Amino acid sequence: MEPMILDMLLKAGLGLIILGMVLNIAGLLTWVERKQSALMQDRIGANRAAIFGFTALGLLHGIADAVKMFTKEDCMPKGAHRFIFNLAPAISVAFAMAAFAAIPFGNTLTLFSRTINLQVAELDAALLFVLAAMSIAVYGVILAGFSSNSNYAVLGGMRAASQMLSYEMSMGLSILGLVLLNDTMNLQEMVRAQGGTWLGFIPRWGVFTQPLAFLVFTTAVLAETKRAPFDLPEGESEIIGYFVEYSGMKFGMFLLTDFIETVLAACLVSVFFFGGWQIPGLHATGFHFPWGTTIPLPPLAVSLLGVAAMMTKVVFFNWLFMALRWTLPRFRYDQLMHLGWKILLPASIANVLVTAAWVAWRG
Amino acid sequence: MPKLTIDGKEVEVPKGTRLIEAARKLGIEVAHYCYHPGLPIAGNCRMCLVEIEKNPKLQISCHIEAADGMVVKTQSALAKQGRQNTLEFLLLNHPVDCPVCDQAGECKLQDYYMEHGLHDPKFDDNKVRKSKKAFPIGPNVMLDTERCILCSRCVRFTDEITKTHEFGIFNRGDHSEVGLVPGKSLDNPYSANVVDICPVGALTDRDFRFKCRVWYLGKTPSVCTGCSRGCNIEIDYDRLRPHKKAGHDRIMRFKPRENSEVNKWWICDAGRYSYKLIDHGRLVAAKQSGIDASLDAALGEVAGLLAKAREQGRSGRIGVLASPDMTNEELFLVRQLFREELSAALAFEMAEPAGHKDDFLITADKHPNRAGAREILGTGLAKGEELLARAARGDLVALLVFHWDIAALAGADRLAAAARGAPLYVFATHENRTTYAARFALPVANFAEQSGTFTNCQGRVQRIAKAVEPLGESRPAWKILCEFSDALRLGWTHESAESVFAELSASVHAFAGMSWQTLGHAGATWKQGQPQEAAAAR
Amino acid sequence: MAANVKVLKRRELTWWENTFLPSIYAGLVITSRHFFGNLAIHISHVFGLRKKERGSTTYQYPEEKRPLAHRYRTRHRLMKRDSGETRCVACMLCETICPAHCIAIVAKEHPDPDIEKMPASFDIDLGKCVYCGFCVEVCPEDAIRMDTGRLDIAAYSRGGMILNFDHLMNPELPVLDPAKPVAR
Repeated sequence: MEPMILDMLLKAGLGLIILGMVLNIAGLLTWVERKQSALMQDRIGANRAAIFGFTALGLLHGIADAVKMFTKEDCMPKGAHRFIFNLAPAISVAFAMAAFAAIPFGNTLTLFSRTINLQVAELDAALLFVLAAMSIAVYGVILAGFSSNSNYAVLGGMRAASQMLSYEMSMGLSILGLVLLNDTMNLQEMVRAQGGTWLGFIPRWGVFTQPLAFLVFTTAVLAETKRAPFDLPEGESEIIGYFVEYSGMKFGMFLLTDFIETVLAACLVSVFFFGGWQIPGLHATGFHFPWGTTIPLPPLAVSLLGVAAMMTKVVFFNWLFMALRWTLPRFRYDQLMHLGWKILLPASIANVLVTAAWVAWRG
Repeated sequence: MPKLTIDGKEVEVPKGTRLIEAARKLGIEVAHYCYHPGLPIAGNCRMCLVEIEKNPKLQISCHIEAADGMVVKTQSALAKQGRQNTLEFLLLNHPVDCPVCDQAGECKLQDYYMEHGLHDPKFDDNKVRKSKKAFPIGPNVMLDTERCILCSRCVRFTDEITKTHEFGIFNRGDHSEVGLVPGKSLDNPYSANVVDICPVGALTDRDFRFKCRVWYLGKTPSVCTGCSRGCNIEIDYDRLRPHKKAGHDRIMRFKPRENSEVNKWWICDAGRYSYKLIDHGRLVAAKQSGIDASLDAALGEVAGLLAKAREQGRSGRIGVLASPDMTNEELFLVRQLFREELSAALAFEMAEPAGHKDDFLITADKHPNRAGAREILGTGLAKGEELLARAARGDLVALLVFHWDIAALAGADRLAAAARGAPLYVFATHENRTTYAARFALPVANFAEQSGTFTNCQGRVQRIAKAVEPLGESRPAWKILCEFSDALRLGWTHESAESVFAELSASVHAFAGMSWQTLGHAGATWKQGQPQEAAAAR
Repeated sequence: MAANVKVLKRRELTWWENTFLPSIYAGLVITSRHFFGNLAIHISHVFGLRKKERGSTTYQYPEEKRPLAHRYRTRHRLMKRDSGETRCVACMLCETICPAHCIAIVAKEHPDPDIEKMPASFDIDLGKCVYCGFCVEVCPEDAIRMDTGRLDIAAYSRGGMILNFDHLMNPELPVLDPAKPVAR
């Protein structure tokens, strides 16, 4: 009994750490968004929030935002469905965070002769879990639109629903190729399968085995985050979407959901296509370079390096998504649908067929 | 009758007509400063130069008499050049202080500079400065000798029209300046007319000084109500601020309007400055015993009272004191309503102290429309005092008073006695002791706030026009009378005072054949002797 | 009619262009160049290097004001004579020409007969003013100018937007104080 309770405690602790990390990254992303866009556009960016004259490069704006959100008046439109109206932002944010349970942040870590898998939920169907969690997060959006008793919110919810469903399809299909290749739905296993190299220097990452799937998945997952260039459900600057009637922290939760989903997207892209915590050339015993040099490392260091590699990849993809968001203009609605149904979906189906044929031919 | 050609157009004028007048007959305006149709010819400004064929030099058109076969060119290059040179000389020592000059905007120097001048001044010496800038020369007039072009109109006016001889031109050459004869002050009763005739800003009105720029003014033709002369005036009101605010009048000034039959070009100072009464001390809301009350309630009470009196057959005991301050139209409605319909006790005159008069324009009768009232209401009526006495005896069911300030004329005691005997309703433009004593005082519009006609002492019917909106709740008396007629269901359909006048001209002999169109803004006289005959016939 | 119509055919995109990947890549290159370039400049500034280069075009407004062009029209002021009096003689030309009717002048007698006229009150309603500068051009006395460089015009009430004579004579005064609305 005792090891099981300890395991549970360890997993709970790991979950808390990851949750805190994710929330922090999401919070920092508000700062990154401001500063990165400012640098890209030759501006300075938010730099006014200060405590005793100390601005910390504008980092305090995130805190100021939180204070503002919490102290704002919480309005509910007349005739709104009180329960669902309150539930919708909670669904959005909760399921976006739940998806992180299945993400492996590192290989197993051996501490005090206990082996800890750096993945909160060791699910064999982790892939399905992640997709399911992301799908339910869509419900938050749709419910928010429908419970607001506002035509604009309903229209925003409709736009969100059609966009999310269109891209969810391609997203699921594009990963199918990876599942076929790696023969597993466990994300940890999938990452492990991406270890090693071809010819000694090309890592066996998903991006090289499934390049088309990478493009399709990245596009689809960006669409799932509802951020530019796929921000038709929100259109904060003018059309306003499903959360038009929300205020205060409930609005803040939708905002937070966007950033959490961005982190999630970065995690998924890293795990599926960039080897997660894998570092090319790093084996369980240390670095083995193709020309024969070896640097032996203790297992703990290897594990921690893996975690660092994962974090680096996540940060890079967050940066990339931000850069994309501030580079590309918004799609027109027909372009959005065209891309989803006429390009991504056929491409992902073709990818699955070709992969299946390859797997069958290889035996 | 000499026949001549001016600018290619032939015209025949009486012998002795000056060229400038002959040209005016053709609609050709020759620039001029010293010439004024109401004053003797001086010919000293030299501005009205025209070219006459077979004449070696340009001639001043204000002095040359028209002769048969003359060919005059006012727009030839030579004539234009001559006038431009003259203007340049006139402007030599003019200070060009238009920004501070009240004449700016109606200044002939400005007008003719735009028309004839636009020259580059060749004079680069210092201008001659006079000893004093603007200074008052009488109660109403400021003099600025620097602006003067020595046209001598003002001198001729005081010599020939008022014969008071205040002005003279002193010194010689560029030192000459217009000024008062030592020991005199410009305080005759027509003094401010020199402001009107001064073509430049040398003589300006002290009352109008700095009050308003003239291009802000809207102008409405009207008639002075100061006395029975009925001098034609122009009401100049502030177009930018048409609504009365504290400390700001709507009416800026009166200007005389030319009417050769009545006042020629002139007006007395008392009439000129009577514009202040239009906005000051006005009754702007209905008053019940001196306290603000609802106008509708007051009108309703009077109308109900009239209807009740007619029903009970007591309408003969309604006392109505109309006024010679009312327009012909209003007096006619009074006649129709109170005499024809109600057979009420009617009066329109009260005993008044004799007013000041002179042998020029000012008459003793200080009401603008006594002739009209006598013609319309008849001369055989009771005096107002009799109505007061009847009211005091309790013989009247109500006493309606238009305009008269009874307290001032008959005394507060008789007013109080009358008010005790019968309910007193006063229709007044201004607040006074009578409006305080009345059961209801109802505000009516004054002559600047409505259209209509007055008949002056010569029997001349002249139109007034609305210049500004009635102040506060006040409305024209003819509208109030029409409201009463509605309450009595008389079926009147007067939409305007003009339609009232049409009915008046149809039913009152002296006004026969007149309409507002035929009256124009100069008015028309009824046939002499007609009023008395008509009155006798009645 | 159709003679002057020029029909422009859109170029068909190639298959590769249709994926948008080259365009997205080109866009990312541009924005990233700015990002890393500016980042490098900002970091250099921390170490006191490359001080002459600016990492941004931002003006930190209340502290750092943007230089105004010489002809820029800002809040009005009334000019003074050598004696410190106003140059204005209340000729009302500015009031007359003002297309927004935002100027209201009341004239009075000047004690010096050589000057004769001066404003008793001079109000400009900045809430109505359209900053056309006609009043400056029309003034015969060079008495009004719009060169105070003051753009900080805001008030809590419409009455607070009205400048009176004192404010126009002393443009450095903080006139649009919300606590003290300017009386008309």
